[in-house]
Amino acid sequence: MAQLAFYFDGTRCTGCKTCVFACKDKNNLDTGLAYRRVWEYTGGTTEKGADGTCTTSCFSYYTSVSCNHCDKPICMANCPQGAISKDDETGLMAVDAESCIGCGTCVNACPYGAPKVDPETVKAVRCDGCADLVAAGELPACVMACPARALKFGDAGAMAALGERGAVAPLPDPAETEPNYFMTPTADARAAGSDEGFIGNPLEVA
Amino acid sequence: MIGLDTALGEITLVLFTTLAPAGAMALLLMGLPILSGRASWAEVRRISTYLCLPLIVSMVGLVASATHLGSPANALYVFAAVGSSPLSNEVLCAVIFLMLGGLYWLYSFRRAPSPRLLRLWIGAIDLAALAFIAAVGLAYSARTIISWNLWEVPVAIAANALMGGPLVALASYAVGRCTSLTARRAKGLAALAAGALAASVAVYGLQGVDLGSVGNAVASVTDLVPAYGAAVAAFALLGAGGIVIAWRATRNLPADGTPPEGAIRYQLVGRLCTAAALGLAAIFVMRFCFYLAHLTVGLGV
Ligand code: SF4
Ligand code: SF4
Ligand code: SF4
Repeated sequence: MAQLAFYFDGTRCTGCKTCVFACKDKNNLDTGLAYRRVWEYTGGTTEKGADGTCTTSCFSYYTSVSCNHCDKPICMANCPQGAISKDDETGLMAVDAESCIGCGTCVNACPYGAPKVDPETVKAVRCDGCADLVAAGELPACVMACPARALKFGDAGAMAALGERGAVAPLPDPAETEPNYFMTPTADARAAGSDEGFIGNPLEVA
Repeated sequence: MIGLDTALGEITLVLFTTLAPAGAMALLLMGLPILSGRASWAEVRRISTYLCLPLIVSMVGLVASATHLGSPANALYVFAAVGSSPLSNEVLCAVIFLMLGGLYWLYSFRRAPSPRLLRLWIGAIDLAALAFIAAVGLAYSARTIISWNLWEVPVAIAANALMGGPLVALASYAVGRCTSLTARRAKGLAALAAGALAASVAVYGLQGVDLGSVGNAVASVTDLVPAYGAAVAAFALLGAGGIVIAWRATRNLPADGTPPEGAIRYQLVGRLCTAAALGLAAIFVMRFCFYLAHLTVGLGV
């Protein structure tokens, strides 16, 4: 089975969130719903020394994440309706709106907060890897839109050659679901599970 | 409060996980005189009729949660994921338990039901009830949900059922004027509830310790459920209140179970129903906290 994957270059991302809006635009998402989010992880302090000079341990970096079309998708394993599928050809996840009951089990289980229950249709929705664009030989909307060229998309083997499976805070340990999300972390990046920092933009990712 | 949306959104599940296991346990306890073969035939028929009360308690829970099953058109998909999804297993167990219980109740109204069949059937219902309680406990197990994936979660569901079940059974006996409601049996059921209350409080205490260290980059359980300690205290008080009321109401019952008449009867029913309501309210408080505490490894609250 082939598997498509995202690659994210943390050293290029400026945190502009164009990917978030390109995705919202493509999928016609209203306020309060986003399939891709950019998490700002930040921490540290600045202190003034006795000689009046300042030293800082402040750090801040961005991580752009959607559904990672995982190799061990816990959303799919726990869905009571069998409504979530993984495409044989592309490895992309999809939700069958017919059988989904909007129970939110996938939302509860996904450690990336990727699926959401659309309050209007009461069906689970999430990134589908822009399967329609990909089938037409194009790239996903978020990838095409990124002005810093920080996102890439393609065969998992090729993406894995560019970086490691995402394992930086605030992401979970990739062993949980084996996400098809490879990345190059910034120099500031802290390891997954770190408690040195906090989410700097809670309202943007809510 | 951050988790409030989750908990309010899942209020039907709070209700379901409060009522359904307690109702199932009550049905099991109430049917024991039939299972043991000790009850007179008249008593077997009376208990059979009033078994509908715990069944209704369970059913109300299920109906509340059925808002989660979407439209009837796609409800059957749930059986497609039996085996893989713990939630599907739970729904399957619920359906088996309620079908067995409901059909038993209907059958028991026949002019001459077979005593042997009733007994065997009660045995089957009891097994289904136990499987159902276990399935409710495991329904939320997902290794990524760090605040739910604890051994205390299924144990608490079982302990809560053992606390609420006897109280619901006592009230159902009283409503049905069953002669099985002797002082001795009432004492036994109250003692079972008291033991289960103590066990529940202990489990919640240990769970509180485990939860204290659980958090991700977005939130920690102590942010999500700041009043956990107060909730456990409320649980203990409500539960103890229910048990004391049940114990006081039944301690002077006749040894042969002759049901009281007139005003005394209504008083008994009223007090035992109050006791059951308090027990269920206690469980409700902790089930609410359970949904408040939802947190995954990584990015989910
Ligand atoms: S990121 Fe979440 S929703 Fe997407 S496949 Fe992985 S577990 Fe499922
Ligand atoms: S919300 Fe839909 S896709 Fe998600 S677990 Fe429930 S039925 Fe499955
Ligand atoms: S691949 Fe498509 S659906 Fe997924 S985050 Fe990018 S734009 Fe959104």
